[in-house]
Amino acid sequence: MPRLLASALSLRRDPRLLKLPPYLSLLCIVVGVVWLFLLPLDDYSRRTYISENALLPGQVHTYFGGSDQNVFRAYKHETDELADKGNIEVNDKLESIAKGLGLKVGRQNFTYSSAGNTHSGQNMYAILQAPRGDATEAIVLVAAWKNVKGELNRSGIPLVLTLARYFKRWSLWSKDIIFLFTPDSIAGPQAWVDAYHDAHDSSRVASLPLKSGALQGAIALDFARETRFKSVHIVYDGVNGQLPNLDLINSVNHVAGGQMGMGVAIQEMWKHSTSYHDRLQTMLRGMLKQGLGLASGPHSSFIPYHVDAVTLQPFGDGWQDEMAIGRVIEGTFRSLNNLLEHLHQSFFFYLLMQRDRFVSIGTYLPSAMLVAANFTIMAIALWVKSGQPEVQEVITEKTKTAEEAEKIAVPNPHVAVERDLNLPLVVVAVCHVLSVVPLYLFNHLSESALIPAFVLFSVLSAILPFLLSNLLHTSTTSTTTQQYNLIQSFSLLLLGMFLSSLATLNFSLAFLVGVFSAPLTFVRPCPNSPVLKVLSMIVLYVLSPTTVVLVASVLPGLDEKVGYGLGEVLKQAAFAWDVTGTYTPVVVWCVWWPAWIAGVVSVLGRPEAAGEKKVKKA
Amino acid sequence: MNGGKVTLGRTAGLYAGAAVLRLALFTLFPGLPDLLTGRVEISTPVTSFKRLQEGLFLYNHNVSPYDGGVYHQAPLLLPIFNLLPSFSTFPIFTYLLYIAVDILSADALLRIAESGEAGSSARFTSPRRDKRWSGAVIAALFLFNPFTIATCIGRSTTVFTTCAILHAIANAISGCHFHAMIALAFASYLSMYPLLLLPPLILLCYDRQKQPAGPRAPDAWIKFTGTMVMDVFGALAVLFQMSFMLTGSWEFLSSTYGVQLTLSDLTPNIGLWWYFFVEMFDSFRSFFLAVFWLHLSSYVGGLSVRLRQQPLVVITLLLGIFAIFKPYPSIADASLFLGMVPLYRHVFPLLRYSFVIAAIIIYATFLGPAFYHLWIYAGSGNANFFYAITLVWGLGLSLLVCDLAFAVLRDEWEVERPEMVGKEIRQI
Repeated sequence: MPRLLASALSLRRDPRLLKLPPYLSLLCIVVGVVWLFLLPLDDYSRRTYISENALLPGQVHTYFGGSDQNVFRAYKHETDELADKGNIEVNDKLESIAKGLGLKVGRQNFTYSSAGNTHSGQNMYAILQAPRGDATEAIVLVAAWKNVKGELNRSGIPLVLTLARYFKRWSLWSKDIIFLFTPDSIAGPQAWVDAYHDAHDSSRVASLPLKSGALQGAIALDFARETRFKSVHIVYDGVNGQLPNLDLINSVNHVAGGQMGMGVAIQEMWKHSTSYHDRLQTMLRGMLKQGLGLASGPHSSFIPYHVDAVTLQPFGDGWQDEMAIGRVIEGTFRSLNNLLEHLHQSFFFYLLMQRDRFVSIGTYLPSAMLVAANFTIMAIALWVKSGQPEVQEVITEKTKTAEEAEKIAVPNPHVAVERDLNLPLVVVAVCHVLSVVPLYLFNHLSESALIPAFVLFSVLSAILPFLLSNLLHTSTTSTTTQQYNLIQSFSLLLLGMFLSSLATLNFSLAFLVGVFSAPLTFVRPCPNSPVLKVLSMIVLYVLSPTTVVLVASVLPGLDEKVGYGLGEVLKQAAFAWDVTGTYTPVVVWCVWWPAWIAGVVSVLGRPEAAGEKKVKKA
Repeated sequence: MNGGKVTLGRTAGLYAGAAVLRLALFTLFPGLPDLLTGRVEISTPVTSFKRLQEGLFLYNHNVSPYDGGVYHQAPLLLPIFNLLPSFSTFPIFTYLLYIAVDILSADALLRIAESGEAGSSARFTSPRRDKRWSGAVIAALFLFNPFTIATCIGRSTTVFTTCAILHAIANAISGCHFHAMIALAFASYLSMYPLLLLPPLILLCYDRQKQPAGPRAPDAWIKFTGTMVMDVFGALAVLFQMSFMLTGSWEFLSSTYGVQLTLSDLTPNIGLWWYFFVEMFDSFRSFFLAVFWLHLSSYVGGLSVRLRQQPLVVITLLLGIFAIFKPYPSIADASLFLGMVPLYRHVFPLLRYSFVIAAIIIYATFLGPAFYHLWIYAGSGNANFFYAITLVWGLGLSLLVCDLAFAVLRDEWEVERPEMVGKEIRQI
């Protein structure tokens, strides 16, 4: 044992050991990315299963249909009449219908402002009090007047009204059922859920006049088409990449796919052949949506409050009619009605490959953690490297005391030289403090100013590293190799730390940012090789936050032929920040951007005495 | 030290800057104080400002503040806060009080630093003592430490204990034994655990007492220790008597110190006790309580003996140990320990794990709230997530305590064995 320890200690001093970390970092990144691509394989993903036995999905007969079809047609006529009416008129009509059904009705006004625009409206909701319950728990059925694409929810609204009438006749409900009608798909539900949990800003969102018990689950219906459909699309992404409990998705899956015999799709994969390619595509789409952290439907706002929710969207041409989707909702509500406690058994962190295959957090988290770990490894390596005595420092350091000069004159490999921490700390801190500027700008400017501001900011952010680098070079005490190593070390340490914390909250965002900033690990000051310098600069500028945002905004989206365009993306980001509290902008501007600036500064670095070092080594 | 006026101007500027920063945080972000007050990392059951408000409300309505089992803090805090204009209408006075306490703490720390006690005590003079930071730098590191700022904004009542401990040390160094003991009595009265600092503090007083040169009587230390102990317990007795008169019963003893001794409130915090005692079977509870307290107090004797030459080091290390192992620790205790560490600038080159320690502490600082969020708000994690991070936090702090102890001992050792300077040593 002592010999082993001694050999381990001597190994610690081996100079070859310090050559290792870059390769180790590269290995981490490669393994992390390859790991992700292995996930869709059968050996790494699992079939989904129901964990919560109380749910019993698809075990009950559903009776919605028959004469309810006529009721639906009647409500549909009413809805069509209201198609061009204002929000208040619509709610007046909906209220009179709900009151006619014997439900308690409440209304709520809200006004959000974002990017100079005002988003205001009025929510209407009706509460069906449970015949067998005590108003301590509730489930929500949401129908937004307009879906996320801005289409009128032409069949969804009448269907929810029909279901309200139908549910009222049953005596088996043990949880209150809340029917929520919102004017739009994002701001309305957000205002309502915030107010339901008393977490609203009362200057923008009114309090709710009427409440029920703790929300146990929510289903939103987005049914804009008027023709028969083939399958149902489950939208499950919440704000900031939070997901509903997998049991809820499984239940809907069971009821729709098993009991009703209709197809189920996720992540806009209208056709899914269960091949590796399709699974990978589904997973990557899911990750992209999760990473962006935007609200994807009326259900998204519920998830941060630990209310599991999904949106159902019928799609495709087939023979299923409105009653079929009504029965899916009825079946799911019967399952939720069975719940004895909040959904907690199944997974909250998962990536779905197809409707019945998933990978859980234990399987996929290592890939993001490996990518984040590569930064930490490099940070430690650079720290160790900065502590190693360098012979030429005796000449350059003027402020060394006699005692220290003595110490360096007899180089001692295991006593680290004193590091000068102040300058590197200041540089890294300045980068992080500056990052408040873009965060504030892009979330507070009005819509028309967004694009000019972005262009101006991109140019400034491209020039900033040159300015900083010049400042470092011409300042009275010029910057040494050690200080450049330390700048990079601190910056990478912070990046690695932020990303590994983030990976537990939003895996996809951490992974994406990690992959985009991977080159930061490998760039070094290279004053003697212009080719390497130019090459590093090109890679860094191509993968800079501003370039990535710009390119992402003009690339075609999942379905669309053309991209949204820069203005729309910035507007959406500001809206998400102001209304739903999406924190993706914080990650991009306050985590990624400062790390990038520090990286470019070190590439541009002209460490003092580096030239002499070369000569000496030669 | 050098040019009194310049230093005075600079420290005044420093204090003004710290005060303005805190005041700005209080006023520009009105939601921040309440947000921080609610964080388990800042407010523990025995220091929470929210619970203080509850106690104050009961006290003002002539109900015993300890009814209801929410308030676990010293009774004398109540009249102090009662003297201030009502918090709900004029919160600014409470803010100013907390800011003033922070600056008083920093001032005591500055006095400790300027005395140079860390580098050269009465019995030991470090060869590296020239390399040190000025008092202003150390006070700045304390005042602008994010943990200190968060504690101040979160209005945790630990700040009073911190202030009392720092003043006890500063007075001990400047030779005012009586004041030191009174300050320690206040700290112990507020939080109980500072009483464990009594032995090293007596040593510090004894070493720094102003005396004409010449041999002391061989048993002078017995008399000295006796006086010191009498001072502390006399002051404590007075404080207890005042508390008794204030609340009209001795109930406060069990509600304040009893809670710390028996850990009856299991609210999560960044310490290591709560999870352990949540899991504990009741029959083992009292045994392990005794073990945990014994463990916490066992460091006092050993460190005082081993580091007899440098009592200030003992106090610093003990503060670090308390920040890890006391029943209800918060980041306020860590901020006190981290505030004392820069006094040992001269042994920093001997620290072996400074980067690892900094990385662990920063990692834990960010992962802790993230995991707490997953557990409490998102519902997708569980208590183990947060407890794992408190273990990491404890690991980071204990590494710092060990490393600092190593560096100080090595510094002493190199004086004893000059031929070994700069050579590698190995622990066997």
